[in-house]
Formats: sequence, C-alpha cells, structure tokens
Amino acid sequence: FRFKDSLAEDLWRADLVISHAGAGSCLETLEKGKPLIVVTNEKLMNNHQLELAKQLHRDGHVLCCNCSTLVETLRSMDLSTLKPFPPGQPEKFALFLDKVVGFQ
Amino acid sequence: TGGHTTEILRLLSCLSESYSPRHYIFAESDKMSEAKIRSFEQKRSETFSDSQFTLHRIPRSREVRQSWTSSVVTTLYSILYSLPLTYKLKPDLILCNGPGTCVPVCISALLLGLLGIKRAIIVYVESICRVETLSLSGKILYHFSDYFIVQWPHLKEKYPKSVYLGRIV
Repeated sequence: FRFKDSLAEDLWRADLVISHAGAGSCLETLEKGKPLIVVTNEKLMNNHQLELAKQLHRDGHVLCCNCSTLVETLRSMDLSTLKPFPPGQPEKFALFLDKVVGFQ
Repeated sequence: TGGHTTEILRLLSCLSESYSPRHYIFAESDKMSEAKIRSFEQKRSETFSDSQFTLHRIPRSREVRQSWTSSVVTTLYSILYSLPLTYKLKPDLILCNGPGTCVPVCISALLLGLLGIKRAIIVYVESICRVETLSLSGKILYHFSDYFIVQWPHLKEKYPKSVYLGRIV
C-alpha cells in the first residue's frame, strides 16, 4: 500500500477519509466528493502545508483536528455541515493564456 | 515533481493544439513525473492527431530545506545545464508552477532574451497550496515573469502585480 500508483479506487469506495494535510490528498478527496477530516501536526509540518488545510477548513469543506483530538472529532462530527468543493476551472486559464499569446 | 506535475497537467488540459510542440522539463531525481506526462499526452493524442511533445531532465536545483549557500551553488549548476537546453528549444512561451527546477530555466530564458537571441513569455502559476505565502520560486519569479498568477484572493492583495483568475486546477 505504501506507494500505490493511485488511490483513486480506494477513494471511490470510501465513505469517509482521514488524511494528513498534503494538498494532493486533500484535493483528490474533495474532488471525489468524499467527506474529509484533515489531521494536522503543527510541530512536524512545513508551515506552508497548513495554509491550504486552514483555508479549506475556513471555507467549510473539511473538518480539522490533530492527533489527540481525532477520536473526539470522530465521535462528535456532523458531516452534513461540510460544503461541496467546486472543481477548479482550467478553462479560465486557457482563455487568459490565449489572450496573452495572441491566439484569440 | 509530484504535485507540481499534476497541477501543471491540469493547467494544460484546456489548451488548444496551437500550444505545440510541448517541451516538458523536470528534475533528474523525479521518478513519477514522466509517467504522468506520458499518460496525459497519450490521452491528448486521442483527440489531437498531430500532438507533439518532448521530455528533458535537468539536475535538481535545490532539495527541500537545503541551506542557502549550497542552494546557490546547485542552482548555478542547474543554470549551466538549462542554458544550452533553453537555447536549443528557443521556447515562445514558458509555463511553470513553482518547483525549484523552473528557476534555472526561467533565468536561462531571461538571459537569452537579454542577449537578443530569443524572447520568451514567462507565465508563472503559483500552486493551489499557496494561500497566504508565496513559494521561494514564486518570490523570485514574481519580479521576473511576464504574468504571475495566484489562485487565492489573499495573495492577489499581497502581490498586486499578480493575476487572479480563481482556482484554475
């Protein structure tokens, strides 16, 4: 399981995901519409890795906790409060780039 | 590397076939990006018959948390490597999103521009992970890129010359 090529299949089957705050993990999970609890460890992590987790939490897309509060979070969580995560829009980037480069 | 590659492939996903040929440059030590890129291009060639791309590896400019002084040395080494590559490719457009690998390539492109050899448009898209602070590559290239794109409004406030299009990956 250590370095599977893709967790897509496992994600598809999951009802709840508990993850570290890595951006890839968070975004992949949210895009599949799965409820996500992000476990942060402020002592170990790069400061910047927390930025995305905090923002997602602020926007109501994930639940956050740390290792010691995980059990309590699992007991008291209400997943219905989580807001759906709209997909990014690379088409906006394409439009922008076309203008920049001169392909209109 | 990893997350950067995934993001940049998403950025490319809606580009027309006018953006061709595509030259992918990534770090020697990167094991996974090649597979992701080939898979992306494979799918693309199902829609666009004449799809062209090439892959190039350059020495990694900096390991995570490498010290300042040694980073300067390894980056200079990477520039020595990327300069002839950039000269050979003579790109019209450089698209990058933050791994240390992009700095030597952009510096090479800037040098070629200054020397009147080839002027490339440099478009930098900061990673979606960057909500409040810029990456080191971002801090450097904010001043040297033609277009600097951020994906969160807070960064747009902090860096007024940047472009904000919302989340694009």
